[in-house]
Formats: sequence, C-alpha cells, structure tokens
Amino acid sequence: MTWQCRLLGRIMAAILLFAVGATEAAVRNYTLYITAGSHTINGAGGATLSAWGYSDVAGSPKIPGPVLTAYEGDTVNITVVNNHTLNHNFVIQGVTTDATAIAPGGNRVYSFTASTAGSYLYSDTLNSAINREMGLYGALLVGPADGSNKAWTNGPSYSFQRTWVIGEMDKVRWNDVAGSGGTVNTSIYKPNYFLMNGLGGFDAMGDPNTTIDGVVGTSALVRIVNGGQFSHALHFHGNHVQVLTINGVRQISPYKLVDAINIPPMGTADVLYVLNQLGEYPMHVHTAQMETANGVYLNGVATMIMMH
Amino acid sequence: MFPANRMKLSLVAALLCAPLAYTTAQAANINVTRNVSSLNKTMSDGVRVTFWTFSGALPAAAVEVGVYPDGTTTTDTLNLTLSMGMMTPQDSAPYNGHTIHMHGADVKTSEDGVPETYNDVNGDTYTWTPTRDMAGSYMYHCHVHTVKHLEMGMYGPLIVRPKNASGTWLNQLTHNTATAYDYVQNYVLSTVDPAYHTATGDSTVFADYNPKYYMIAGNEGKTTGAPAISLTAAKSKKVALRLIGIHSVSSTFTVKDGSGNAKPFTIYTQDGRALATPQSVTSLDISPGQRFDVIFTTPSTAGTWYPQVTYKNLRDGGTYTNGTVYGRVTF
Repeated sequence: MTWQCRLLGRIMAAILLFAVGATEAAVRNYTLYITAGSHTINGAGGATLSAWGYSDVAGSPKIPGPVLTAYEGDTVNITVVNNHTLNHNFVIQGVTTDATAIAPGGNRVYSFTASTAGSYLYSDTLNSAINREMGLYGALLVGPADGSNKAWTNGPSYSFQRTWVIGEMDKVRWNDVAGSGGTVNTSIYKPNYFLMNGLGGFDAMGDPNTTIDGVVGTSALVRIVNGGQFSHALHFHGNHVQVLTINGVRQISPYKLVDAINIPPMGTADVLYVLNQLGEYPMHVHTAQMETANGVYLNGVATMIMMH
Repeated sequence: MFPANRMKLSLVAALLCAPLAYTTAQAANINVTRNVSSLNKTMSDGVRVTFWTFSGALPAAAVEVGVYPDGTTTTDTLNLTLSMGMMTPQDSAPYNGHTIHMHGADVKTSEDGVPETYNDVNGDTYTWTPTRDMAGSYMYHCHVHTVKHLEMGMYGPLIVRPKNASGTWLNQLTHNTATAYDYVQNYVLSTVDPAYHTATGDSTVFADYNPKYYMIAGNEGKTTGAPAISLTAAKSKKVALRLIGIHSVSSTFTVKDGSGNAKPFTIYTQDGRALATPQSVTSLDISPGQRFDVIFTTPSTAGTWYPQVTYKNLRDGGTYTNGTVYGRVTF
C-alpha cells in the first residue's frame, strides 16, 4: 500500500468513525425507584434480609440496582423516584456530583453526557453508609463512542463482558435494625453475607450474567464494582488477568498480569480474562469469611470460569 | 533425547554462544512429596493452637522449580505429591480430605487441586511445567474448605526460579540480571483466628473472622527485638524478599530503620509476572492471595533494618492491635 492509499484509508476511516459515532450518539433515559423490601440469598446458609434498592420496576427492590449502560457521547437522563420513608440520593462516583437528598415521595433527575469509557459505581451516599449497605448501589458502564467491543476507543478488545457488582450485608446488626426503623451502630460491621451481583456463591456459580463462560480463544472484559464496605481480594484460577483500569484510571500497555486483585470499598477495576485453555475453574475471594453465607462455604463471593 | 543428539546440540550451542560454551541442561523432574500432620504451637500469650501442616512445617518448606533462559527449550516439571494415610488429620464430611492447589500456576483443571472441579481429596500428584515468563513467587495450599484448611496452616511458598542454560540455579528473581540478589528470604504472611481452628463443618464461626495472631514465616514477631524472621547480610548487598500473602485481612509492607524511617525498595514481580517497569516504593499493600518479589540494597555502613508487615482490617484499613510483625536484617 502506498502512503497516499494509507492516508486515504485513514481519512475514510475517520469519516466513518465520525459518522457512526454521530449516528449512534443516543439519549438514554432511565428511571430508578428507591424501594424498601427484602432480598433473599438462596441455598444453605442463605436468608431473607431487609433491604433497600434502586429498581427499574416500582414495587420491589433490586440488589444491586440495574446495570446502566451508555456509550461516550450519549446523553443520559436518570430519574430517581424515592418511594421510601427516608431521605436518599444518587451519586455516580466520578460522573455526577449532585448529592442532594431526595425527600420521601420526591424525585430528582440527573443528566449528563457520558464522556469517558469505563465502569462506575452509583450509590446512595447518605446515612453513614447505611443506605448503601442496605443495597442502594449498582454499576454504570460506559463504552466507546463507536459501540465496539473495546474497553475504550483504541483500547483492548474483548469478546464479551461481565459485570460483577460486589458487596456485603450484616444481617443482624445492620439490615434487621435499619429495616425495622432502628438505629444502626455503624462502628460495628460484621457482615455475614457476601454478594456478587446480589447473589450468594451457590447462585453466582450458575448465573449466566456472572460466570465467565466461553470458548477458548475468546476474552472477557470483567467490570468489577465494589458497593460494599470491605475490601474484596479476588483470585482467578485458570489464567492471570490483564489489569486495564483501577478506580477509573486507565493502565498503560503492557498491562500488569495478576491472579489476585484487591477491590477496596467503592473501588472499581476492569480486567481482561483471556480464555486460553479448556477447563472449569473457580474465581473466589481469598479472605476467609467472605467465601461463605453465614459460615456456609462457597455461598459467598465465588463464581465459575468455564472454558470450552 | 539420545546422548549423540545431545552432544550435537551442545556443540551447536557451544559454537553459537562462544566463548561461553555451555551445555544444554536436561529437563529436570522435580519430585516433592508432602504429607499432612498436626502441629501444636504455643502462641505468644501461652495459648496452644493446633495447626495442620504440610510435613510438619509452618509454613511448609518452599518448593522450587526452575525455568531456563531465552533460547533454550528446556523446562523443569514439578510433580508435587500429596501423600495421605491413616494418621492424616481430617475434618468430617463434606470437608474431609485434602488437596494441593498451586496458587497462581494456571494449570489444567485436573492439576488445580479444587475438589469442586473434580479433584481427588485422598492424595494426588499435581504437575506443573512453568515457562520462563513465570519466574516469581507462588504458593501451594490445600483447597478443601479453604476457610478452615488455609487457616489451619496448610500453605507454603512455591518458587519459580531462574536457572542458567546448563541447569544451575541463578540468584536472580527472573532472567533479567537487574533482579540479581545476594540474599533471599520468603516472607509468608498469615493470620490466625483460633476459633477457626476448633470449629468444624459449616459453622457460623466461619461467618466472622477475628484474627488474634499475626505472623511472618509462621512466627509472631511482635517486637524488633524478637523478630519473626531475621537475616545477617553484608553491607552494600542486595536482599530479595518474596512476599507471599496467605493472610485473610489487608496488610502493608514497609522496610524501616531503627528510627522508623521508611527505606525504598524495588518491586520486580507481582503474582509471578515481571512488571514491565520495576517500581521503587517505600510502602506496599499486600492483599490476600497476592505475591510480590522485592529487592533492597543494604547501606554501606553497619546497622539494622526492619522489614515489617502491618495487618489491617478489611473495612477501613485500621491497624489491628499488635498487628505489626517485624523481620530483621542486620548488616
């Protein structure tokens, strides 16, 4: 190819990219209802806990809240309706700054242009972390403007993505107390339920939205968002992961290869898991109690990696 | 390989690499066997805690497997055998039996030591053939009911260490000569909640973790005067520490002098992979499951430094009471 050809190609690609980006820039409207109710961890050790959640359907909470998605350049309008009896708010860490309380019965609209591809935590920042602990958190995912399967424009490619919203609940000291209108002693937090996408491990190991499940040669972009108050030290079997972002900060190629990554409270990370050999492997937290549901092994933060 | 072929290869290698003229090493099979045995240990407060160990040591003795320089096709293969018998300490079903998981080794499912993915819990041989890009620190640990079996002490260092082309161990972290060291020690980080040592099955004891003892290399080293691990080194020499996190809380590693001033050290590998750019720091957070290989240089004047680990809670990083464990390097 001559240099003129290459140049022409680049110009055409730029026009195409611009055109695609322009046509795909969209307005994305979401409505989240803050709702009180309960959340159930299935399987041995599981329980039904009082919980508050953001839900896309009025009436029952969703733990974590729905995954919100947008692409760079999109206009995002999120209406948050407070159907609970306490003040709440809605802050997307690194994206929105309006932390104003929404009174019971009120609502508030958050509008922004999605600007930087990545994974973000949204949560209720009020009430000394009690609101968040009760389940008011979730993830916003922003993809590149051209809608491609890349972590960011010209960034690493992936075949499919998974979102792991992790967290914990202290049933006796927090959920039971706050759920019945009592005062939580926030200085003591001994969570006994550890969740991936709201699930205990027994469910998470079979949940198609949580497991890394694909054919050898593909790769998974795993977006990890910690809505909890504990650090989660996640350990991958089967392969190391490439660390692409940490707390929204893009890393530089060649990406660090690790088999254990720590996600601190309200931290985020994007990692790339390359499915490079046949087999079945666990991914689990490497801290004792966090692998359990109230002491029952593997009903905590654990899922499966299936390569076929 | 037939001897004649090997001679030919050696000759070719000698010609190619003249004047170094080394011979190509033969692949080594590194066969290591561990059993499981109980160990009663008297802790610093006089309380006796029962541990389960691999072959009687807490942490278990290090296992080393070699990798060879660029341009050689030789590999070492580790065959790590878990031997079990009538006397092996056991929990009751469903958490009976033991395995060995080579943490970070990314082996085939059948070598991974995870009972939930069909690995035998009654003794097995676990095989791994690491490649040269995998030089660094790993660990081996039991993967049965890990909330208890790790806590019981079933862990040890697993080191992938460079060899030269003729099969001699190198005192380097990787084949990069910048990682050469004069001394090396394994700092295995672990914590102990004695309640986990007596609970069995799916007990609610395992829903909460309250560490009481903090260790490096299986010892509490609560003061600089009684460190958990010590080393006598020469002045102006390189000391490599392999930091291996099998603890169950957060932690921070530092190297301090007698006055508490933090000294810089360089991180060369993390989780058994060389960092693209080595990092010089004065503080390093080590989370459960992570490994880092670091090097510092002793000063040109005599003295003592204290590499140390401060264990912190998972919620806000607050330091535990008596949560700092000291090592000591005298030069």
